[in-house]
Amino acid sequence: MSKRTGSIVNRRVVFKGAAALVATGASFPFAAKAQAPRKRIVLATWGGDYAKLLTKHVSTPVLAPRGWEVANDEAVVAQRKAKTLAEKRLPTGSSDVQALTATDVAEMAASDTLEKLDLSKLKNAKNIIKTFSIADSPLFSPHIYSGQVVLYNPKLIKDVPTGMDSLWDSKNQGKVGIVDIQHVYTTMGAALVGGGKTGDFEVAKKSLLELKKLRPRIYPSNEALAQALQTEEVGLCIMWKARAAQWQDAGANILTVAPKEGLIAYVSGFCIPKNAPNREGAYAFLDAALEPSVQEGFAADMGYNPVVANAKLPADRKARIGFTPDEEKLLVNPDLDFIAKRAAELKDFWDKEFKRA
Amino acid sequence: MTVTTAADDLRSLAAREERGGRLSTAAILIGPATIFVTVSLLIPILILLRYSLNQFAPGTLMVEALTPENYILFFTDPYYTEALYRTLRVAAIVTVCCLVLGIPLAYRLARTQSRFKNVLLILLVLPLFVGNAVRAAGWMTVFGNKGFLNVTLQSVGLTSEPIVFMYTEFAVIVGILAINLPYVVLTLQSVIEGIDRNVEEAAFNLGAGPLRMARRVLLPLALPGLAAGAIFCFILSMNAYATPVLLGGPQFVMMAPLVYVQFAAKSNWPFGSAVSLILMMTTLILTAAANLLVQRRYRN
Repeated sequence: MSKRTGSIVNRRVVFKGAAALVATGASFPFAAKAQAPRKRIVLATWGGDYAKLLTKHVSTPVLAPRGWEVANDEAVVAQRKAKTLAEKRLPTGSSDVQALTATDVAEMAASDTLEKLDLSKLKNAKNIIKTFSIADSPLFSPHIYSGQVVLYNPKLIKDVPTGMDSLWDSKNQGKVGIVDIQHVYTTMGAALVGGGKTGDFEVAKKSLLELKKLRPRIYPSNEALAQALQTEEVGLCIMWKARAAQWQDAGANILTVAPKEGLIAYVSGFCIPKNAPNREGAYAFLDAALEPSVQEGFAADMGYNPVVANAKLPADRKARIGFTPDEEKLLVNPDLDFIAKRAAELKDFWDKEFKRA
Repeated sequence: MTVTTAADDLRSLAAREERGGRLSTAAILIGPATIFVTVSLLIPILILLRYSLNQFAPGTLMVEALTPENYILFFTDPYYTEALYRTLRVAAIVTVCCLVLGIPLAYRLARTQSRFKNVLLILLVLPLFVGNAVRAAGWMTVFGNKGFLNVTLQSVGLTSEPIVFMYTEFAVIVGILAINLPYVVLTLQSVIEGIDRNVEEAAFNLGAGPLRMARRVLLPLALPGLAAGAIFCFILSMNAYATPVLLGGPQFVMMAPLVYVQFAAKSNWPFGSAVSLILMMTTLILTAAANLLVQRRYRN
């Protein structure tokens, strides 16, 4: 008898427990997922300040009130590019939006992994400044831009530089810093110093080998270079004006000059992978990133210039991060065709010839 | 006679059943581990092997092929062979340093009667609670131009200008050494603890000094343990990633970071796979050779 009673009690307990679990949905994540509305955007982006500011200026104030939830998938661009390529054959990828630079897009274009954008779905697209050829790319919606300037510490570099050729000046030997991950833009800068265009790889190679003789210090990241500038280990480099503004804001004793050889434009923006699971959300994100408030926020917090004409910046900020009409004439677009075709060769040269001790 | 035969048959049957039972128990016990190793190690290795025979085409991960060109490229390009030699050199130096520094420390820990022995062991293990990348970041604050080491050297008047420690082989060796030393000490300490103290006393009674006792008694007895510790340290050093990247800088290329660059930065999966297999095979061959050598020596 007691055995029978015990059995009934156990079954009841089990049934009650199961009912409670199903009712709450707490123990069955798949059921919970099925019930959730599909308003989630997966944004693959760089981490650090950029990701934080995207949350601060785009995800929270613009997209959340519109019912979108943005999940950041943060990684360096090389990893994200490799992941997108690896997911190419899958019907559904893992990201809706990829944050890339113009040069990354050029590399990715050859892999046929990015969707051709329908700009009519972006109400803010009409405001994009047509300064950059990349703004016309069918794969890319620009977000922010800056230019590659010469950055120097006036305490260490007595003669004010006028161009990138100051890095090649033997007077400055031992004071020059180079960033490893900036190899594409540094190579294009070297091409300009050698008298060529941004895509003249042979000219760039010759210039870089000249620079190598002066034994510049090579740092793995922008942050490592910033630390070296702070400790006065080096005092001269090429860098985005936006970064210079950030470091100046942090108290670094540095000044910038628009190089006479040309201001290579750095444009960062967003793409949609062809197998993005949530295209509607992806377009919503791209459009939100072009809102004037977002553009103004990035100019204030990160030092990058707006890519839309209707963003308004305070005059002092514009002077700090932007370019004068004369400087704007120096703006040069990266040779994207060159990058698309020879990125692997360029990286090989950089690693095996330029960097090799 | 018939009774004896029947009893023998029964005993033999019982023995066979017992053996069968032991075998099935053993299969149950080792089965999950075997399946796990097969799935998580052998299958990826076979996939890597297949990938390594493919061709690379920019814009795509790889093109199906059966070519040895990735292996030929590795062994004919000095950039890659230098990376392999550099990795071998660093791994060998770290292993030797770990043994030289680790043996006295392990011996002291094994033989101490102190009531603080457990505390000492915890202190030894404590650095392993911190990840390799975090530890490397700590070394960066020590090795920088205005880091602890340079500031100390300058403040005591030994140097007037900062010495470049960061992004050098020295920094990488120190960084990996600090990671591997606790593993080696723990391995050696447990081996030395297993050696009877009386054997050492006997050597001393027969007139051997401490060094002679160590050379003639302790080290030969601890040889298998020493080999295990050295092999463990060598494998860890060969595959070091975070420390060479963070302390070696962009110009100091070792094999594990080279694998990462091929996969992530260049999207060249076939060559990345070939480099991975070369690293794995080099480590495996050297480890097996060392093991064989020690076994032969131990038998002698």
